Amino acid sequence: MSEANENKEYTWINPLGVWGAKGGNYEVTSNQVSDPSDVWRKNTGYKVPTSKVGRLKHYHIWDNHNEKLWKRLRWWPTRRHLLHVKGIYNRKTLNAEKKILDRRPIYWVICMVILFIGPLLFPSSMQSSLLTAGATFGIFAAINVCWTLIIGTASIFSLATYAVVGVAAFLTSWLSINFGMPWFSLPLIGAAIGFAMGGLIALPALRLDGFYYALLTLGLNELCRVYFTTSQEFGSASGGLYGADSYLSESWSPAVQSHASYYIALMILIGALVLFRFVNGKRLGRILRMAPEKREAFAEACGVDYKRARIQIFILTSAALGLIGGLYTAHFRGVAFSIFSFDTVLLGLAMLTIGGIGKAEGAILGTLVVVFLDRVMIEWGPMRHFLIGALMLASVLWLNNGYFGIKQQFNAWRDKKRGEWRSTRTEKGGEALPEEATEIDDKDDLYFRRYDKMQRDYLKTLITPEIIAEHKAKPLGQHSEALERVLLYFRRAKMEDKYALHRVGPDGPFKIIAFSGVRGVSPRVVEDKEYPTEEAGYHGVFMRRVHDLLES
Amino acid sequence: MDLTFLITNAVIVACIYGLIAVAVSITWSSLGLINLGYGFVFSFAGYGAYLVSERISEHPVLVIAAAILSGALAGILICLVVFIPLHDKQNFTTRGMIATLAISLIGSQSLLMYFGPRAKALPELFGFWKVEIGGLVLTSDKIGIVVCSVIMLVGVVLWMRSSRRGLEIRAMMMNPHAASIVGIGIRSTGIYVMAMTGAMAGLAAALLSQTYYVSPFGGLTPLIKGVSIALCGGLGSVQGAVIAAIILGFTEAATSRFLGGQYVLITQFLVIISILIIRPRGISGLLDKAREQ
Repeated sequence: MSEANENKEYTWINPLGVWGAKGGNYEVTSNQVSDPSDVWRKNTGYKVPTSKVGRLKHYHIWDNHNEKLWKRLRWWPTRRHLLHVKGIYNRKTLNAEKKILDRRPIYWVICMVILFIGPLLFPSSMQSSLLTAGATFGIFAAINVCWTLIIGTASIFSLATYAVVGVAAFLTSWLSINFGMPWFSLPLIGAAIGFAMGGLIALPALRLDGFYYALLTLGLNELCRVYFTTSQEFGSASGGLYGADSYLSESWSPAVQSHASYYIALMILIGALVLFRFVNGKRLGRILRMAPEKREAFAEACGVDYKRARIQIFILTSAALGLIGGLYTAHFRGVAFSIFSFDTVLLGLAMLTIGGIGKAEGAILGTLVVVFLDRVMIEWGPMRHFLIGALMLASVLWLNNGYFGIKQQFNAWRDKKRGEWRSTRTEKGGEALPEEATEIDDKDDLYFRRYDKMQRDYLKTLITPEIIAEHKAKPLGQHSEALERVLLYFRRAKMEDKYALHRVGPDGPFKIIAFSGVRGVSPRVVEDKEYPTEEAGYHGVFMRRVHDLLES
Repeated sequence: MDLTFLITNAVIVACIYGLIAVAVSITWSSLGLINLGYGFVFSFAGYGAYLVSERISEHPVLVIAAAILSGALAGILICLVVFIPLHDKQNFTTRGMIATLAISLIGSQSLLMYFGPRAKALPELFGFWKVEIGGLVLTSDKIGIVVCSVIMLVGVVLWMRSSRRGLEIRAMMMNPHAASIVGIGIRSTGIYVMAMTGAMAGLAAALLSQTYYVSPFGGLTPLIKGVSIALCGGLGSVQGAVIAAIILGFTEAATSRFLGGQYVLITQFLVIISILIIRPRGISGLLDKAREQ
């Protein structure tokens, strides 16, 4: 209630008095009313520095197809589009535009092209070491993409990946050395071994969960390591098993051999990515992502057979890993014990963590970083592993989900900060918030809300004990300026929740009701209090409205 | 004779790995952190003891104290680097585990860079004497190992039972949220827990160095064995860890006696796998009581 306008009485002359309203007074003693434009100036003036509202469009705006039919490229023979493109209308200019909703396929293609023309870009002094590292990268990235299917899609923390690859690689090397198996049979034999291993490691996964399963698979890895390193047949003396048949002919020149190994490793990686796409993006992947650990009961209640899906994913990825194991043998002409070592598992985990667990691109980026540090920067010595550990620690400490989770994490952080900044500069009161305003299409509504808020701010200053007393004394008829302004506002309210008087008996008493605002829906009774006369009822309604105004 | 020899060996192995297992177990149940950095704590404590024995004195009490103190220091380091920044972040369990693995990688590489790849030997802590009880010859190091680890374990259990800090740790084990609501600081408790468990790992390092040498990557096998025992006994249960340590110690002793030393890990993991398949939460872990995040 305003105190500035007390004691300043003046006589208000009713401009409508010439029409001679019944019972109306032509001159009323009134309190001085403050100037409504003060509130306007206060509300429209900028008190704090504000930044521009809305979002900057940082993507290219593609033209629309206009009158022509929209021709889209599709994956033959499906009706699936090459790119997820949507036709939209620009909110501001109302021009028709096209927007690529998912730009990741473009980035994948660019990266793959870079990998394919990579050997042309390598400096000639490091050509051979980079090609060797590239081949290692291709194979390890393929392994990690398959691992991502288990650790990300199925969210089972399995550490037995390298054990499966290693067992397949050792058995195929042994078969190739002792029985002269040709190289093209090795991946198939490896896949069969992987299939069997998959069944073996899938069964405990149904019973154990979380770290108990991680330990079990780590134990399996250790078991394989100890078995292979101590057994005579698998070359415990020479540190590995070498001399298997390979697709790289010895008669080729070293440059041809290293180029061939590089491109074959890339092909293996692409094969793994295709597998990832067709498992993660299809039915099996969706089932598995619906039934992560500790939510199996919910998935089961929805009719998802998660156990079957888990066995399927284990067998599928293990067969793929076995295949990669066979290719590993055929690629490197054998295999060393280091594939089972704890360091390999640790580096593999570092690869997944740096890129972000659960994403194929994360697995590949992490592999690229770790293989580059580990195999190319050999002159750095123990510093390499120190750096890899530091990267792993940093990505775990500061990033929620590795490198490819940065964007999401940054957006969440920015939205949080925006909320904080917004709350420092906005006042509540029905006005639309700047960020909300960009999403509301009817801009008239925004202006109405803003005006209404200012009007209520102003009217609140007019509510004084005097006008309440004045209304109580005379609910109808001509009032002072302040009361008249308030009453005009009240009368103009929307029908929804507007108050009215309900005559209970033929001569009273009266009760306050509120209209529903919807045709056919009856009004609700607001309170049980009964007013003996119509005037008392009017004043009751007035007091409720004053109360609502001051509360708003 | 064979059987008694077997039992003494089993008890000794159980004592050393049991220390790490109990440490892993307490860390998990009170902080919710699977600490795979004990390998680093182990090596760090071994090198701490080695430095003291080289530079200051070879007195056994000093060397053991140095191992315990440097173990506690490494534990506090892991707490400051991993637990305190991460404990309220999303996906803490997995991230905490990976972060401790990263610490272990970084720590081992730093030790390798500083001390070089050659293994170091600690002095004989318990002298050279023998006791014969009813035909059973016990050497000094065996008695010393058992006595030290039992003193440490009993001390830790008593401290957890009777002290104010122990009460806080037990409260965190029961319900971490409720504990923090009633005013128990998660971070300060984390430091106590990690210092205490690091001290246990440090003692284990000093005791194991009587058989093996101290090397940058020497903590890996004790870590894997300790974590296996802790999981096998049921995470969060001290009794379970002790029982599992005895079972696995017996397996190790029996395997090396009857099959040969190279099969120890194989039989141990077969035993662990079969125990876990029969009881998915370990020997004395209950499904409902297991700490779920």
